[in-house]
Amino acid sequence: MIETIDLPRCTGCGICDIVCPADVIHMTGTPVDSEVPGITTQKLLPVIKFREHCITCFNCEIFCPEKIVDVHPVVKSHPRAW
Amino acid sequence: MQNFQGTLIDTDVLVIGAGAGGLFAALSAKRNGPPGTRVTLIDAWQAGRCGHTAFSNAWTVVVTPDDDLELITREIIAGNDMVCDQTLVRNTLAASYDRLKDMEAFEMSFAKDEKGQYIRRPTRGLDATRVLYPNGGGLEFSWRMRRGLEAAGVQVLDRIFVTGLMRGANGDGVIGAVGINSRSGDFHVLKARATIVCTNAITFRSGFVRDLTGTGTLLAYKAGAKLRNMEFSYTRPSTPRFYFEGIAFAIQEGARFLNAKGERFMLEYEPKWGDESDVPRIARAMAIEKQKGNDPLYLDMSGVPEEKREYFIQSKVKWMEYFYRKLGKETRTDMFGSAPYYALNQMTKGGVATGAECRSSVPGLLVAGLAQAGACNHFAGFHIGMCIGTGWAAGKSAIEDLQKLAAPKLDAAEVHGLHAETYRERDDAAQALSDQALKNLQQLMFAYDVSVWKRGDRLEKAQRRLEEIKADFAACAAPHTHELVRMKETEAMLLAAELILKASVMRTESRMSHFREDFDARDDKNWLQWIDIHDEHGTPRLSTTPIPTPILAAGEPASKKVQRVVRGAA
Repeated sequence: MIETIDLPRCTGCGICDIVCPADVIHMTGTPVDSEVPGITTQKLLPVIKFREHCITCFNCEIFCPEKIVDVHPVVKSHPRAW
Repeated sequence: MQNFQGTLIDTDVLVIGAGAGGLFAALSAKRNGPPGTRVTLIDAWQAGRCGHTAFSNAWTVVVTPDDDLELITREIIAGNDMVCDQTLVRNTLAASYDRLKDMEAFEMSFAKDEKGQYIRRPTRGLDATRVLYPNGGGLEFSWRMRRGLEAAGVQVLDRIFVTGLMRGANGDGVIGAVGINSRSGDFHVLKARATIVCTNAITFRSGFVRDLTGTGTLLAYKAGAKLRNMEFSYTRPSTPRFYFEGIAFAIQEGARFLNAKGERFMLEYEPKWGDESDVPRIARAMAIEKQKGNDPLYLDMSGVPEEKREYFIQSKVKWMEYFYRKLGKETRTDMFGSAPYYALNQMTKGGVATGAECRSSVPGLLVAGLAQAGACNHFAGFHIGMCIGTGWAAGKSAIEDLQKLAAPKLDAAEVHGLHAETYRERDDAAQALSDQALKNLQQLMFAYDVSVWKRGDRLEKAQRRLEEIKADFAACAAPHTHELVRMKETEAMLLAAELILKASVMRTESRMSHFREDFDARDDKNWLQWIDIHDEHGTPRLSTTPIPTPILAAGEPASKKVQRVVRGAA
């Protein structure tokens, strides 16, 4: 299940969102300070919106160009009826 | 009628689902169609990066010109207990070498030895059949195919989740689909002269990474197509802590199944094949062991020689490589000790009934991949093989049909009705609660004595429980698109469960992956038949169709040379 995305190092490229097959990560406009005082930049940053639906496919981590996504290998959504 | 916003996409051939079946259906339609043929491939997520093919190792059965096509065809038919469509199996195998060359033309490479010969491995339960594996596994396979298709002029659209198929103004066939953007929820109308559904097998969020639901198959059913083989629920045993592709190879290298007493129970159930039995037989034996109280059951990999172990840790499948690396030492201890093992990957072999050309009974609607019932197979490597084969056949048939089908004409009332149906569960004020229904459904349908080792009374009890789950689900609503998509999938899964249980009650024998404790033998006299289900005003109607046996008759050995016993024959 996805654990963290190191946001200060995130470039906002959006690949983690695009490659997620479970709609877990949503790029979201986040206000950040710009170099010009008084001007706020809307930066698109990933938000782990539906963590509980992560299927541990590792796509976000595999394809992140900055290598800042961490998926924990333990799968919590396994059906265990036996 | 209330006005609404939406996007219309007009195409000749619409392919729904971008796994191996959809990718090859799109390629086939583009190659076989006259210049200018418009082909559109859509996927609920990103085509080429998601879905079961992308997460698999994409091993595929290939029959090379030097192989014995007839023998391989016959052993796959016999091994699937006569359930699969024999002509479809042969056509798929016969064309598999050409498809391999198509893949290589897209710069996909397949493992080769130092002499430049393809590395080919046997697969569990088959003698003559060999599989090839593409370097980079399913992710590489899917992505190269996607890029190849785009270069060939196929329109590839990501994030379109189909919510219904359209019958159009003439009403005598399917003329495309409606759907939503799986993120924004925006409405899409996809008008097409021919529609190919390739949306994978029905499962209850199972599969390698628990992502499969099989929604498209149920949409085809609602649009009038007949479903077949719903009772052949296939439960693939695995470990709860890790999952790896290559259990078949691990067994060839010395892995063994053990029960709680340390007994190699497979030898008792399947003396001929033992631990190398096909997967449904292993699942059956495990279920009976569980019933006897001999659980927990284990896959004991301690017999795999030290020098061979790295092979299993360094998976060719990208997500598994990450998985192992992160589990680190724990994996090694677990994997090469005795890991608890149970059936957890349920995948229904049921799908839309078609002929060998992959046409459904509804004009304009074709079906390929595991959404198609003729692909009723449980052998590793032949899933992708069948998807490739049926995809190619469906694309070719769609092109042939373009000339015969009337020009599609949208029906405004139908589009409005489908729009209303699509957003029926949307309610901004609601809470997202459908996960509970899913959990209950999984608990019901993964139970060993319902999904693997079935009995009439237990199936009927499961049917009653299913009605309760459905009633709870009916009260759910979706506050956002994410939940709306999940609800559509759960709704389809609930319908699938109903059909699986009904067909399981009806088939009073044991065959392939359908095992009845109360009818524990194959009965060719009465049951060399498919169970078909069609929708009659909201009620499932079951009927039977005799299984044609143009290549291999029931009871006939697959090979006169090998004299293979057709197991369990009555």
